[in-house]
Amino acid sequence: MRKQLGFIGKVSAAILLGSLMSMSTLSAKTLKLAYDADPVTLDIHEQLSGGILQLAHMSFDPLVRWTKDFKFEPRLAESWERVNDTTVRFKLRKGVKFHSGNPLTPADFKWTFDRLKQSPDFKGIFSNFTDLNIVDDNTIELVTDGPYPLVMHTATYIFPMDSKFYTGKDESGKDKSVIVKNGASFASTHLSGTGPFKVTSREQGVKVVFERFKDYWDKDSKGNVDKIIMTPIKDNQTRVAALLSGDVDFIAPVAPNEFGQVESNDKVNLVTMPGTRIITFQMNQERRKEFKDPKVRQAIVNAINNPGIVKKIMRGFATAAGQMSPKGYLGYNEALVPRFDLAKAKKLMSESGYPDGFSVTMMAPNNRYVNDEKIAQAVAAMLSKINIKVDLKTMPKAQYWPEFDKRAADIMMIGWHSDTEDSANFYEFLAMTPNKETGKGAYNSGNYSNKFVDETTMKANKETDPKKRAAMLQAVEKQMYDDAAFVPLHWQNLAWAARKGVNIEPVVNALNFPYLGDLVIE
Amino acid sequence: MLQFLFKRLLQAAIVMLIISLLSFSIKDKLGDPLREMTGMSVSTAEREMLRKKMGLNDPFLVQYGRFVKKALHGDLGTSYFHKLPTMTVILKKLPATLELTFAATLIIIFTSIPLGVMAAIKPNHWFSKLIMAFSIIGISIPVFVTALALIYVFSVKLGWMPSFGRGETVHLFGYWDTNFLSKDGIMHIIMPAIALSSIMVPLFIRLVRAEMLEELSSEYVKFARAKGLSRTKVYFKHALKNTMLPVITVGGVQIGIMVAYTILTESVFQWPGMGFMFLEAVNRSDIPLIVAYIMFVGFLFVLVNTLVDLLYGIINPTVNLLGKGQ
Amino acid sequence: MSLLRIDHLNIEFPNRYGTKLAVNDVSLSIEPGEILGLVGESGAGKSTIGNGIVQLLSQPGRVSGGDVYLNGELISDFDDEAIRKVRGSRIGFIFQDPMTSLNPLFTVEDQLIETIQNCLGLSAEKAKQRAIELLEKVGIADPEIRIKQYPHQFSGGMRQRVVIAIALAGEPELIIADEPTTALDVSVQDQILQLIKDLCINMNVGCMLVTHDMGVIANVTDRVAVLYRGRLVEIGSTKQVLTAPKHEYTKSLISAVPIVSKRLDRFPLVEYIEAEEKGLKHIDVSTHWIGQIKKHNTTGDLLTIKYLNLSFITRDAFFKKNRRSIQATKNVTFTIKEGESFGLVGESGSGKSTIARMVAGLQQPDSGSIIFDGTELINNPDRDAVAEAHLQIQMIFQNPYSSLNSRMKINDIIAEPILFHGLAKKSDVSGIVGDLLDHVGLGRKTGLKYPHEFSGGQRQRISIARALACRPRLLICDEPTSALDVSVQAQILNLLKDLQDELGLTMLFISHDLPVIRQMCDRIAIMKKGEVLELAENKEFFEHPQNPYTRELLELMPRFEQYGQ
Repeated sequence: MRKQLGFIGKVSAAILLGSLMSMSTLSAKTLKLAYDADPVTLDIHEQLSGGILQLAHMSFDPLVRWTKDFKFEPRLAESWERVNDTTVRFKLRKGVKFHSGNPLTPADFKWTFDRLKQSPDFKGIFSNFTDLNIVDDNTIELVTDGPYPLVMHTATYIFPMDSKFYTGKDESGKDKSVIVKNGASFASTHLSGTGPFKVTSREQGVKVVFERFKDYWDKDSKGNVDKIIMTPIKDNQTRVAALLSGDVDFIAPVAPNEFGQVESNDKVNLVTMPGTRIITFQMNQERRKEFKDPKVRQAIVNAINNPGIVKKIMRGFATAAGQMSPKGYLGYNEALVPRFDLAKAKKLMSESGYPDGFSVTMMAPNNRYVNDEKIAQAVAAMLSKINIKVDLKTMPKAQYWPEFDKRAADIMMIGWHSDTEDSANFYEFLAMTPNKETGKGAYNSGNYSNKFVDETTMKANKETDPKKRAAMLQAVEKQMYDDAAFVPLHWQNLAWAARKGVNIEPVVNALNFPYLGDLVIE
Repeated sequence: MLQFLFKRLLQAAIVMLIISLLSFSIKDKLGDPLREMTGMSVSTAEREMLRKKMGLNDPFLVQYGRFVKKALHGDLGTSYFHKLPTMTVILKKLPATLELTFAATLIIIFTSIPLGVMAAIKPNHWFSKLIMAFSIIGISIPVFVTALALIYVFSVKLGWMPSFGRGETVHLFGYWDTNFLSKDGIMHIIMPAIALSSIMVPLFIRLVRAEMLEELSSEYVKFARAKGLSRTKVYFKHALKNTMLPVITVGGVQIGIMVAYTILTESVFQWPGMGFMFLEAVNRSDIPLIVAYIMFVGFLFVLVNTLVDLLYGIINPTVNLLGKGQ
Repeated sequence: MSLLRIDHLNIEFPNRYGTKLAVNDVSLSIEPGEILGLVGESGAGKSTIGNGIVQLLSQPGRVSGGDVYLNGELISDFDDEAIRKVRGSRIGFIFQDPMTSLNPLFTVEDQLIETIQNCLGLSAEKAKQRAIELLEKVGIADPEIRIKQYPHQFSGGMRQRVVIAIALAGEPELIIADEPTTALDVSVQDQILQLIKDLCINMNVGCMLVTHDMGVIANVTDRVAVLYRGRLVEIGSTKQVLTAPKHEYTKSLISAVPIVSKRLDRFPLVEYIEAEEKGLKHIDVSTHWIGQIKKHNTTGDLLTIKYLNLSFITRDAFFKKNRRSIQATKNVTFTIKEGESFGLVGESGSGKSTIARMVAGLQQPDSGSIIFDGTELINNPDRDAVAEAHLQIQMIFQNPYSSLNSRMKINDIIAEPILFHGLAKKSDVSGIVGDLLDHVGLGRKTGLKYPHEFSGGQRQRISIARALACRPRLLICDEPTSALDVSVQAQILNLLKDLQDELGLTMLFISHDLPVIRQMCDRIAIMKKGEVLELAENKEFFEHPQNPYTRELLELMPRFEQYGQ
């Protein structure tokens, strides 16, 4: 027995030594990055999702990109000007090369634009765009079908792809440019962009390795990361543990439950920022006649203590909302604040003839939004105070969306992030009268319908003067606020954490794609 | 022998057919894959068109018929997420899971057998009582709690162990990258293997102890002692080998169950194996992969049972699977 | 100086209620070359003495007093290691069941050689040489080949030979044989006993032969010691003890042993052992519910069996020609008359139990016919008639331990068939059950207990009561007493005889025990390898056997009455 113990001692000593050695050989210029998921494809037009946009910003460049304070920053476009109501002209940066070595030309923009118009996920965003015209070797124009205020917003989605690289037939004789959703394609497994990082190896769901592109055009960038190893770590606790144990340098997202652990550790930094994703409940007026009465809806909004939810459940990791548009968006109306008032809620219920309340069904996902299940439970409890009995059902998102599509409950949870970073997008999807043909109101499970909201939103989408447009959008917010069109809860915050020395603070933004090309590691 | 294998093969085929039918019949309850494949703002019409193109709107029997027809040609569908044939994906993830299971099995063998035997031959010793107390507690601690506790103590607090992933692997052949040939790989596999074995070790300790106690009260053990053999020889030669027979039978089934437990362990440790892949597939409504995985696990169960029976036949001379002699 | 001397040996088993003295002040001795028989019923402490000598008592038993000397050396004081060296090397052991005393996972070679090396310290090669010699000595043919085989490849008798070879491997001075032939067939039993006897004489080894079988005692022992409840009640030369027992217990015991030479009406009751049937109410069967059996189409023949065939597949194969099977019964044909007691004898594997199972409907024959009271039981489309017939055929099994549901009370066990078949009014059932329990000698109060609270004999009485609850006409008794002690056996056999007289039961009595058959049956059929070799009246069968196999069996049977009574 003693002999065995000696052996175990030796082994554990060897293990200890080994781990010390592996720690000392860490290269300073390698960033080990852990997200909750890795990009599902290398084809940036295949799916419109945060993961893919993150990849686009790492390996491609857009015409322009958002700054932290929601301004546009020139990237492949050096400058731009509005030529007329329907045309914006972009001056392109010179001397930009793709990873393949091909030079970037206006033809690549044209090719990319045409491909975007084909993509099931992106064509919606580009539906107002008719053409991308090549003016000369350094100039292109984006043409819309009418006056359109969101040309620059949309330009953040134009990441030119290497048209020569993506043209022709692959080994199996398929067109290299084709977008395939349910299977492999050339573009989903090969990549050539102009961005700061090349993809050098990738194993789906395990890791992606990026290396800095030697010929990257942005020599002014202070970014000094040579290599990025991106690993998906699904489990929140494991992801934090990986950071705290030094196995990775940078993680996102950080769940509110883990904040304490991260903040109390002096080797790592936590960076949080208000996000733009709104979490709401919708009250189905078609299923429940009670919800047709604005007073009942008002009562429900008044009954829900959303600042309390932010404080207790989200641990401060959210901003309580009274409207859809977050601060910084054109539609943000400062006057529309959260309005928890239980006494008023009870009064409204009495006035509308439901002093004894009624029973409703409620559904919410349990793995889609931060603490979604707990929030739903809290809301159900709060509604019981005004005698509304809630039959709550929560389920994984995979099962939730089909239920949502069926409008299967009286009250349903929905969170929304505006793809265009513009208020109108919220209204189009969540608040306009549902219409199968135009596709408006696709996520308006409450069937809220207001002519003013519908018309003003559409008008705002043709108004190119930002001031006038802001007034319109804010008026829409006001209308919905007065109608209690939906239950606003909060905007989720964003959180990242990195070991000290990895300066993530300057490169992260509310859009949740850190500009890793500019990341500096000390 | 050939007949035995042929029977098992047939059994596997039937098992897989039934599993495929069952999993196919519930697949619509597993969520809408189109939701996972498209962004939120994609229109319903657009989604519907894709659905049609993928044949997801066809009647159940048409879809199942198509699946079986393809399956007979060795094609179990293409994963939506991985965009590769499901079998390719599974085989790619298989080595990681098998290595993890193997490592856990080693831990189980080298802890539960000595401890179980100890508890059986010295039932009143304080250490035996400690073992039994531990086994009762251990059996009731969920795997993921053990896993998180290990990570917290050994990775976060002490910094001795890597917290996730497979680490550095050495390529063997085909898809097979092994953890066992590099120090980093071994370091990475230790904690997941301990976590995975944590629920099985107490179970096996109790099993080994119970079987050993039974063997110790048997006539041949008494006879062996009456022959004047030393206790060591009686315990470790005569009783232990007989103890192993039921342990192997139960163990085979348990190892199959362990493959299921890898789902938890792998997701906590971000171990890139089949279990984690399956969990992700469920999260993403990757139905072809879910169906293929369940079928594959069914096959694995039959395979493990077959191997166990063969092993049993080798150890136990009274079982004649090989059909020789008589 | 005696080879083995035991002085005032006490062995006790402490339990939570106190201490049970299993062996109480026993003194005896064995000389070299002598076989001492140790006889007694279960619980008498005879095996405990054997185990106590070499300190192999099962927990928590311990020797609490007395001395054991081996060749003058006090071995009861030896520590673990010292006594271990005595085991095998100086005292060899033979256990009852050769099926379980060999480790099934090791070859005979392995198990022999480890013993030889352990006791004699020979080299592997020499040990093997010696192992082969030993196997030869105990009468195993082709020892070079057979030594490589596993225990399951040997028959029961051959296995016991191997066990004996192992017991001899350490060249012991004394052999303790604990019921060495109880699990064996008569013909094999004789060979093994002869072997032990020869070895003792030739090698001048002493032997303590522990057995419950008076026949064995009569056949091979030189002296015999009788144990009763831990005490030695009598010791003396075999002839003296068997012919002129001094102690009352010995007398009762001897009177309870069935003999072959003549048929008795009843077994003399073993009065010393148990004052059974303490004034329990005997019911008048002629008026009681039990006696009211539906009148039947009596033809004289109650059961007729014709050309009954059944084979078991021993090796399955896809192709028919590769399959192997054994013929369990081959064209078996006989008739049982109403009210008679029909005996079926044969060694294990002869097919007698298979026939019982087929008659009871537990097994379907491949071909042939079974006619009960005019009803064909095989492939009869009239299922109700068959079910009705099967209800009148009840079976009592050998093992009273496993044939009763341990989770049910006795009352419920017995009431079950009455209620299930609706044989009596619900309100009458508990009375009937009580009467039955009284009648089989248990008393109605016992009905509230569970099977585990009863001894083997009592459980067999419960089985009988349960069988009677169906008001059977044919009672199949499959080795009903072979797991029981002699005295209990006598009681059960008496009970069966009484019941038969009172109820006019017909019995199919199956046993390997010829003396029991002699006492119980009117006509007897002898079976071997699935075939009936001879069928004769009791007297004819035992006094003028025709078939050579019958003659052989009768000759080999240990005859207790060789000393005359």
